[in-house]
Amino acid sequence: MRDAVHAEWTKLRTVPSPAWLVIAVIALTVGASAMAAAIVKCPATCRADTTKLSLTGIMLGQAAVAGLAVVVVTTEYGTGMILVSLGAVPRRSVLLAAKALVVTAVVLVAGTISVLGSVLAGRILLPGNGFNATNGFVALSILHGPTLRAATGSVLYLVLIGLFSLGVSTALRDAGITTAVVLGVLYVIPLVSDLIISPSWQHRLDRWAPTNAGLAIQATRGIAKLPIGPWPGLGVLALWTTAALAGGWLVLRLRDA
Amino acid sequence: MTMTPTSYQSARPTGRDGFGQLLLAEWTKLRTVRGWVIALILAAGLTAVIPIALAGTATSNDPVTCAHGICQAEGQAVATGPAGSAVIDSFYFVHQALAGNGSITARVSALHGSGAHQPVPSGFAPPPSTAPWAKAGLMIKASTKPGAAYAAVMLTGAHGVRMQYDFTHDVAGSVISASWLRLTRSGDSITGYESADGRHWTAIGTVVLSGLPATAQAGMFVASPEFQEAIGTGDGTFNSPTQATATYSHPAVTDSGGRWVATSVGAQSPSGGNINGNGQLNCNAVKCVKGPASPADSVIAAGGTFSVTGSGDIAPFEPIVDPLHVTFFGTLFGLIALIALGALFITAEYRRGMIRTTVTASPKRGRILVAKSIVIGVLAFVSGLIGAAVALPIVSHKLVANGWTPPVWPILSLTSGIGLRVVLGTAAIAGVAAILGLAAGAIFRRSSGAIMATTGVVVVPVILAIVLPLTTGTWLLRITPAAAFSLQAGVPRYSQVSNVCAPYHSCFPLSPLSGLAVLCAWAAVALAGAIFLLRRRDI
Repeated sequence: MRDAVHAEWTKLRTVPSPAWLVIAVIALTVGASAMAAAIVKCPATCRADTTKLSLTGIMLGQAAVAGLAVVVVTTEYGTGMILVSLGAVPRRSVLLAAKALVVTAVVLVAGTISVLGSVLAGRILLPGNGFNATNGFVALSILHGPTLRAATGSVLYLVLIGLFSLGVSTALRDAGITTAVVLGVLYVIPLVSDLIISPSWQHRLDRWAPTNAGLAIQATRGIAKLPIGPWPGLGVLALWTTAALAGGWLVLRLRDA
Repeated sequence: MTMTPTSYQSARPTGRDGFGQLLLAEWTKLRTVRGWVIALILAAGLTAVIPIALAGTATSNDPVTCAHGICQAEGQAVATGPAGSAVIDSFYFVHQALAGNGSITARVSALHGSGAHQPVPSGFAPPPSTAPWAKAGLMIKASTKPGAAYAAVMLTGAHGVRMQYDFTHDVAGSVISASWLRLTRSGDSITGYESADGRHWTAIGTVVLSGLPATAQAGMFVASPEFQEAIGTGDGTFNSPTQATATYSHPAVTDSGGRWVATSVGAQSPSGGNINGNGQLNCNAVKCVKGPASPADSVIAAGGTFSVTGSGDIAPFEPIVDPLHVTFFGTLFGLIALIALGALFITAEYRRGMIRTTVTASPKRGRILVAKSIVIGVLAFVSGLIGAAVALPIVSHKLVANGWTPPVWPILSLTSGIGLRVVLGTAAIAGVAAILGLAAGAIFRRSSGAIMATTGVVVVPVILAIVLPLTTGTWLLRITPAAAFSLQAGVPRYSQVSNVCAPYHSCFPLSPLSGLAVLCAWAAVALAGAIFLLRRRDI
């Protein structure tokens, strides 16, 4: 197992695209978060959840995280490298576990940097836009209980999105198809559920769709009114991730490479 | 003895390398990959099935209720206009009968906002003193019944002199500082004039109001629409009725033997304080909306000068909710499949090394991408067209069954203007987005990156526009390819109605054709970049 993880790490660090994607995760997350924090104004939108707002960038950064997971798996199928990998690590569960571990570690690091950067951007930018003591706001602090939960949860959210994409990639193998499917889940489902006219379906999707439920972890205001609580929401995403990984594992075991 | 060496030449005729052959080659490449054909069919299926499923769940909490020709929709009283669509027809009208042909002339010397304003909640900007679309001028109307056909020339708060008729039509005047207005009736046609001095008249336009009765009502009117402001993501809104006062001098009607009558057209309740105020509607006959009380209409006549105060609007009714547009966001699933196909159409060549054969067969590299664009663009267009054409009639039927009924929400069919625009628009978005995907594929040479980049500029802005504040959101929807989704709007939007346009309510800031132009511009720039790189780079 150790060797398998080491091999995966070597594969990851010696090609340029994962490094670019890690930079993209950080740049997209912090950039979009900072932009969101820079453009909101209190008192116009004083009801804003400042913590959630300064973590807006996760919505963009998650695409790069998904891309990283997709690259880790589908490049092997695209180049035929998978045959060598399976030759070296014949136990497929071990190979998948090693890939999952490496992706988890990389996303944990990139995600932590991104989230800290985003919260810092919010802490610096928000008071200047009216989110200050005059209007009853305290500066964002990572040590503040709900903010700490939202920040930690956002890192875990990115890890779960990475593992979800890893599972889907292992099941579908083709980079194009996997990317299309993952982007459909990450962006089109929340878009449709945001605009859907039926309140009952909106409630259902907010509770059970992977990203809608998962992002509940970022809320720090009006938690009682959320369709699903922060941790249960992240739990729903974890269920989806487990299902995707299980599907990927089954395909990897049953299907010829 | 020497022999002249002769090179071997095949007996077969020499092949040509025209653009037609290139198109045929690209078409063959696409149709012989089973997965790609399945993707095209799957995209058409998704484009049809998901909107239909969404339409099935879209139940209206606030259905249209109608009585005595006045309907209630989204908390507002709406009448049915001459074209059968919902209109707002509520204003103060000082009028007299005009029998047969004739004209009405008056000078409008002042138009300004009046009356007390509602207190503005914190965070909202106060309304302008005069509403930009406050209207004061002359009107010839079939009757004082709300929704009756009319033609009018008017001064507006901030949009100059206009001639408007039958609610949806709006023509701008041309004379600077015009204050004299005239309407002339001849049969069914009415001509509007404007003048700065009351002597030299300029025609603004001539309109035909078919079925105008022999005796119509001609007079002076004032309307001032509700002020609307939205902040945040469009969920925080402030609505307030406004009022305007205009002064008319030298009003003259041909064969004037009648006397002036004042009517609050479309009033919810008889308004107090006006002379000859006869509320046209009995509040008991119609479900009345409880809301902020409208400012009282009034007219003060003194020495041939009339000071008329009114509120309300004469305009098409734009519903906030657009159920068709919302359900057609379901076509995004099929769209992503087509974007992916566009990207794979070139990245697969790089992965398999096929690109070398392709470039050897057609050394002019730019043409390769053009041929590929045509093939994938046409096929994605057809795939989107089939999906949308199947979806639209079923979606429209389900929406009507769920309470989204005329006159507010039109029944759309493949032959109606909006229905056709939605179907062709969905197909056009599919075709052009697939070309954008292809261009990104040629630039990135990897399917994953190309699909992400394309989806990132086409789909992601819509969801960002929903969560970001209104100004940033609408700005995103103006400059990104997502602007093209305005092609899928199911209700028309009019420039003479200044409603809040929130992405949260699936309202897009650009008109359908401008939106499509933005998407096409992105595709053209990306394709040019892709051709440049393909010619420059080694393969």
